[in-house]
Amino acid sequence: MNQADVSKLVSKLKIKVNPRLRKFRNAEGPLGRLKKLRKTVTALVKHERIELNYPRADEARMYAERLISEAIRYGDCHKTTMELADFWLEEKQLVHKLFKVLVPRFQDYNVSYTHMYRAPRPYPGPMHKKAVLELRGNPYPSLLPDMISNRNLIHNVLLDEAKKEYRAQKYAEIAAKIESAENQFIGKADTSSNTSNEEIATSEKSRVKDAEGSISESSEINKVQDDKK
Amino acid sequence: MIVSTISRRCILRKQTSGILRVSSIRQLTSNTKSTKENIPTKFSLAEYRHVYPEFIPDPNVEFRNPIREKLERLDMLSRRAHIDIPEFYVGSILAVTSMDKHSPNKTNKFVGICIKREGCGLRAKFILRNVIDHQGVEVLYEMYDPVLSKIEVLRLEKRLDDELFYLRDALPEYSTFDSNMEPEIHPEGAPIPINPIKVKLKPRPWLERWERKDLKGIEQIDLPERFFIRAKELATPWEKYDMMKQYMKTIPEEEQTEIFAEIQQQLQQLELTRKKLKRKRTFIKPVKLA
Repeated sequence: MNQADVSKLVSKLKIKVNPRLRKFRNAEGPLGRLKKLRKTVTALVKHERIELNYPRADEARMYAERLISEAIRYGDCHKTTMELADFWLEEKQLVHKLFKVLVPRFQDYNVSYTHMYRAPRPYPGPMHKKAVLELRGNPYPSLLPDMISNRNLIHNVLLDEAKKEYRAQKYAEIAAKIESAENQFIGKADTSSNTSNEEIATSEKSRVKDAEGSISESSEINKVQDDKK
Repeated sequence: MIVSTISRRCILRKQTSGILRVSSIRQLTSNTKSTKENIPTKFSLAEYRHVYPEFIPDPNVEFRNPIREKLERLDMLSRRAHIDIPEFYVGSILAVTSMDKHSPNKTNKFVGICIKREGCGLRAKFILRNVIDHQGVEVLYEMYDPVLSKIEVLRLEKRLDDELFYLRDALPEYSTFDSNMEPEIHPEGAPIPINPIKVKLKPRPWLERWERKDLKGIEQIDLPERFFIRAKELATPWEKYDMMKQYMKTIPEEEQTEIFAEIQQQLQQLELTRKKLKRKRTFIKPVKLA
């Protein structure tokens, strides 16, 4: 049973931390391990999305999270944090990126700062598991499939059916309007002359077009609402 | 060289049965209800970790168990209601009065410097060291041991290092303390003084290789150059960059504040009762001369 070290306060990480650290055995010992991980952390901060072997990604993710949380906690005027950033980021322009880009980006996050996905391994090929590690809020398109616009999902099927029904209802209303107008016209035609017949027909057409336009607009509004949902 | 350190373990007995524990919890909850009104805060939540480090659970994930930790905290508080366990640090001089089951109705008082604090929860321990009759004596006490009847801080101060095991290899005058020492008064709210004393070590052989430990509280060591070369080879200066290692040795701030917010009321209540008792004691105690 040990007593917790109280000399320094740390923020809680929002990812699951492994119970033990990986050794990454190498000739240089523990320092070599840190140097290996340093390369990965530097690449992650530089490219914001990298594909690599799973164990290295899993280990480097914890270090990247810690580095960002330290930077958020202490800022760029704290000597120890600056030394940490100087050690962990091999390219020195990335120190500026850490404090000026990543800290403002992640300041108000309640979730982890990184994402890790399991990537498929090449077949036939080495049996190592692969992973994709990325910073949240990166500029690349998402790696996950676009589930919102999948037509076969049940909620999308239901929405489509609802739209169809709405459209049919609107068309029925328009048809009823035209019919009533025609009936009126036939009733008046006996009394008045047939000269304005063509004019009325064109006006009817334009009215139908307007109605259709309104339907398409309303369906667009529906789509937007779906996306928001 | 003769190094004779007697260490006596005061083993914690399983005294609290299930029924007792429930009653103690009930007592505590009733206490909190009655004392929720404004009690002046002595420490901020972040500072509690220095004063009560044993309330922070073990950072090793394998030993974590939130329910056990909570029950332990309640047991610790109920023990603290019976015995005043004061604030002290490694380097402070304490006087501990304890009882012995083999000699009933008698107490032993041991005065010494605290050279180590370890363990958490009910297993929190500290080691006191003194030189008695030219013989180094160390006693390991468990803080929540029911055998202890009184813990008194004679001098509240810190040293330059987190543990003072090097006193075992230092000259005896550095760990000799008068057993009739009077408690020194530490003004309320004043910062804890740090004693900058540099200890002179005896010549080798030692119990440990102190030249490899990066100690601040020892004088320049007189050793051949090869010892320092080897120490430099074995040094691990990159450990300060291993952020996960640090993370796994400590408990995150969020969890600490949660724990101390939970027990803050009870701790403050204990502080108040301690102050009252102190005042009483100063009036009653007569000093007999000659």
